[in-house]
Amino acid sequence: MRRPDGELILLWTLPVVAIIWISAFFLFPGFLHPMSPTMSAAEVANFYQDETARIRYSMILFNWFGVGLIPIVVLLAMQIRRMAHRTPILSYSLIACAGGPPTIFLIANMFWLLAAFRPERAPELTQLLNDLAWLTFTILVPYLIAQCLLLALAIFWDQQDQPVFKPWVAYFNLLIAVALAPAAFTALASTGPFAWDGLLSFWVKNTAIAVWIIVMGVVLGQNIRQQRAQDLMADQVAA
Amino acid sequence: MSASTTAPMTMTDPPTGSRMERFVWNCRYHPKRELWFAWWVMVIFYNLYGVLFFFVTHVQPPPSPAWDTPTVVQWFDDNGSGVIAGFAIVFVIAGLCAPMNALLAYSMRRMSVSPVFAYSYLIIYALAAVPGMLVMAMAMTVAAFRPDRDPEIIQWLYDFAFLSFSGTMGVFMIGSLVWMVAILIDKNRVFPKWFGYFSLCNALTEVVVAPAWIFQRGAFAWNGAIAWWINMVVFVSYTAVFIVLLRRMIEREDFGTGPLPELEAAR
Repeated sequence: MRRPDGELILLWTLPVVAIIWISAFFLFPGFLHPMSPTMSAAEVANFYQDETARIRYSMILFNWFGVGLIPIVVLLAMQIRRMAHRTPILSYSLIACAGGPPTIFLIANMFWLLAAFRPERAPELTQLLNDLAWLTFTILVPYLIAQCLLLALAIFWDQQDQPVFKPWVAYFNLLIAVALAPAAFTALASTGPFAWDGLLSFWVKNTAIAVWIIVMGVVLGQNIRQQRAQDLMADQVAA
Repeated sequence: MSASTTAPMTMTDPPTGSRMERFVWNCRYHPKRELWFAWWVMVIFYNLYGVLFFFVTHVQPPPSPAWDTPTVVQWFDDNGSGVIAGFAIVFVIAGLCAPMNALLAYSMRRMSVSPVFAYSYLIIYALAAVPGMLVMAMAMTVAAFRPDRDPEIIQWLYDFAFLSFSGTMGVFMIGSLVWMVAILIDKNRVFPKWFGYFSLCNALTEVVVAPAWIFQRGAFAWNGAIAWWINMVVFVSYTAVFIVLLRRMIEREDFGTGPLPELEAAR
């Protein structure tokens, strides 16, 4: 028998993490007006020299809390375990995905912090670190796409009277996967919607992640509450 | 046609309609649909992997670590758009590794061994894709993204890409050994024992690739006869073999906990 104790605590870390992420997003000086890939090496170097403190503080926050999504993905994997499947393949798959996005994000995070560590270095090197950070950050989508697709498939296969998630959750996840995919192609362009500061690669991708976190957080919360109520009833019947 | 159409049924009967109807039914209701899904993802992934790495990005077979800086810059001038487009597709599909690793983990859960093997393998290989594939994709993309960069920096990115790809060794070595030990001590006959020893060969390729971190030319360099050619032959045959063996495992699967029945018995 699975013990759900503590799952609500883990779930309630989500809004806290989300608020910290949003604060760090606004604190980082290069996100609200995302830095353009067309900036020259000198402009990039100036940016890191002028904004050193805010870059460091925001990225330290991201470094602390970037992994905050892992418990949520594992909570989703636990919900998949309750589905009418014959094998644990899909819950294993979700667990295999969980570490991917934070790992890629932490590589990007490290390059931002490195760039800000010695901003007086040769501008070409700061530009290299900035490119590594931005491109890595923008293409961190592979495991997020996989998570959405796998979750949709899991819901589709959950053929029972009381499915764990409603069917719209599957379609919602498919939609998010579609919204995330264009960011993978960001290096094809320095301007326009695919550029790393563009509509698709920056705004659509990051908004999709935010919406996914909010919606899946609410849906997970409902599921965990329902399950606790059911467990409580079962206990009372047994007693 | 889907292999799932040939596998035995144990639940409700499939419709006796057209091929397409049977396929849709199998996707939705086949008792082994999750296993076949992961298996097909594996087949598709390795095919795409081959096409993208060999024919689109041209990073395989690898160019030479002995090249001087202008030759490296020239290589990016010639292959830059393929590098960016090919790795963009890699960034979309890399998550396909997850169901593949899940299927391999499942093969160990089906054995008579501790779940520790399955979970260790799952985590090791979930980790492996980042240094073993995605870091290369990122470094190559950054190099191709700004071809007018200082050539020395482009060469550093080139080294970073190929050495992270060839030189990420331990995760694959320990991963193969975990699978090997599980196969060798398994009493459920999920895999033939000879395949366990084949896993050892795959682990050994990760040993002989270590000198790629040291040599810039010769058999041990990252494009050399030992560090690349022999490794690639072993890896490709190992992968082909386990794809076939996993298919056989799924066909034999009876969802029990005892020895996996042979194919004839399962039918």
